[in-house]
Amino acid sequence: MKTMKFVLSWNINSLLFCNKEINLRVKHLRIICSKKNLLQVFLKRRYEQYCGCRTCIILVVNTVPNMLQAIKSLRWAQPVRALSSVTTSPGVEANLSPAAPAPEPDKLYSKLEIELRGIDPAVLKSYTWFATTAAEHLGIEKGNCWSPRKAHHERMTLLKSVHIYKKHRVQYEVRTHFRYMNFHKLTGSTLDTFLEYIERNLPEGVALQASRTELQQIPEHLRQPPEQV
Amino acid sequence: MSSAVTRMLERLPLKKQTAQSGIRLFSNQEPQQQQEIEDDEEFRVLSLRTVKQQFQRRQQVRRDPVPPPRTSRMAVDQDWTAVWPGPRSFHPASVPLPLRQGFTERGAAAPSKFANAELMKIPNFLHLTPPAIRQQCEAIKKFCTPWPKGLETEAKWQRHFPLEVTTTDYCQSLPTIRNPEARRVTISLKLSDLKFDAHARDKFLRLVGDRYDKDTDIVTFVTDRCPQKKQNYDYALYLLTACYHESFVTEPWEATKSEADMEVYLFERNQSKLSAERILNWNAQEGAPKVAPSKSFADCVEQLINEGENEYNLGKYKEEVKKMLNIA
Repeated sequence: MKTMKFVLSWNINSLLFCNKEINLRVKHLRIICSKKNLLQVFLKRRYEQYCGCRTCIILVVNTVPNMLQAIKSLRWAQPVRALSSVTTSPGVEANLSPAAPAPEPDKLYSKLEIELRGIDPAVLKSYTWFATTAAEHLGIEKGNCWSPRKAHHERMTLLKSVHIYKKHRVQYEVRTHFRYMNFHKLTGSTLDTFLEYIERNLPEGVALQASRTELQQIPEHLRQPPEQV
Repeated sequence: MSSAVTRMLERLPLKKQTAQSGIRLFSNQEPQQQQEIEDDEEFRVLSLRTVKQQFQRRQQVRRDPVPPPRTSRMAVDQDWTAVWPGPRSFHPASVPLPLRQGFTERGAAAPSKFANAELMKIPNFLHLTPPAIRQQCEAIKKFCTPWPKGLETEAKWQRHFPLEVTTTDYCQSLPTIRNPEARRVTISLKLSDLKFDAHARDKFLRLVGDRYDKDTDIVTFVTDRCPQKKQNYDYALYLLTACYHESFVTEPWEATKSEADMEVYLFERNQSKLSAERILNWNAQEGAPKVAPSKSFADCVEQLINEGENEYNLGKYKEEVKKMLNIA
């Protein structure tokens, strides 16, 4: 019995006619062909989630001569498509309510602290310059922008040889440079806009942490002492 | 194998003869070729290849001439934002700057920008020049709102908005964009902004424990036990509410609070009062009204023990003792 690998593609609704009763067991797919010459495809939910595309199936088939013909008559696959909204028809149509929600008051943030981590201090410096210039244009108050003098070195000392030679080692290190920026007195919309602008222009090899401090009033239930029970 | 080689060798000399010595084959052309040899001043290069091999020499790949780089046709006052609109790896023929980058031996110039891997590796900010930043900020300015007028100083906004909620967002290019620290929420509040009575305040401080900082009078709740930031925020508010309401409830077992559990020193409950009374009444008859120590003395002792020993407290205590014992 030969085993052959096929990449097949067919619509769920398409049916196949074949002579024999064939029972194929596949990892994610079971094809059962009834004597009435109908090929019905049962897809397991798990496979749908894995591949995300209901129209593409990979088969490993134990073939028999007339089965070969049957399979050859199937349409051959196109390469796997990324899932688009075209293939599956939504079961429940989302109703987009036309009425906009009531406008919430803008949040207030007393402080935005940004920490940058990267392997190249020149890139961090350029990025800081860009962020502070953008803040200036948007009217955001700039706080303390600073960087520690030394980077953080993460070192590993490993044996150089596969076997013995304990005295001969090799050392690797990763240097992480830090940079801090502080901005004060931002409203919610300003902060969201500024942060999104900054994050979209983040260069490769740089990580960013943005810590925001929101100002809120005391909740109503805490403003007065509770009545004695 | 050897027969094939000999056959090859037999073939070669004949071909060599035909290639090199055209003289022998065409004897009637001898005098003409001799004249050609005398007239031709070029040096005849000896070629030991066969005819076939001659034609098989390396075929020159015809390359179209490379046009000069774009930079030669760029105006000095061009719109750079149109040339480099987005982040892009360095392209030397499009950047009109005489950049050099790289390490060389002493005295030598750094390698030029053409085919320079160092310049191509590093992220460049050519798409974020000052005019580009200005343009983009003008475009997004309409989404920003100004800081409200009455909240210039920290004191003002702390009076109106005493509660502070701190959250962190992470933006990274690791294999995963998720960061488990992002769900942490910190709530901080000054205790003076909450209304307490004496018992409630004491009970609240005992419930809250380490989360209260005595120097700054700030109580802080840090939560990250829930998977989402919103849930952690709700949980932190719930903790605050629960502690606040619990502190006003007096449980029956709170009556068993002994002197060792007291958080402040009270003159009334302590040995100092008894000693002072004994001193003042040492000579009194039985049944006579007891002289109580003065209130100022009581306050002074409490202040000394609660606040600690400093110049002022000790001096005041000295004065009070002298007054009590009627020493001038």
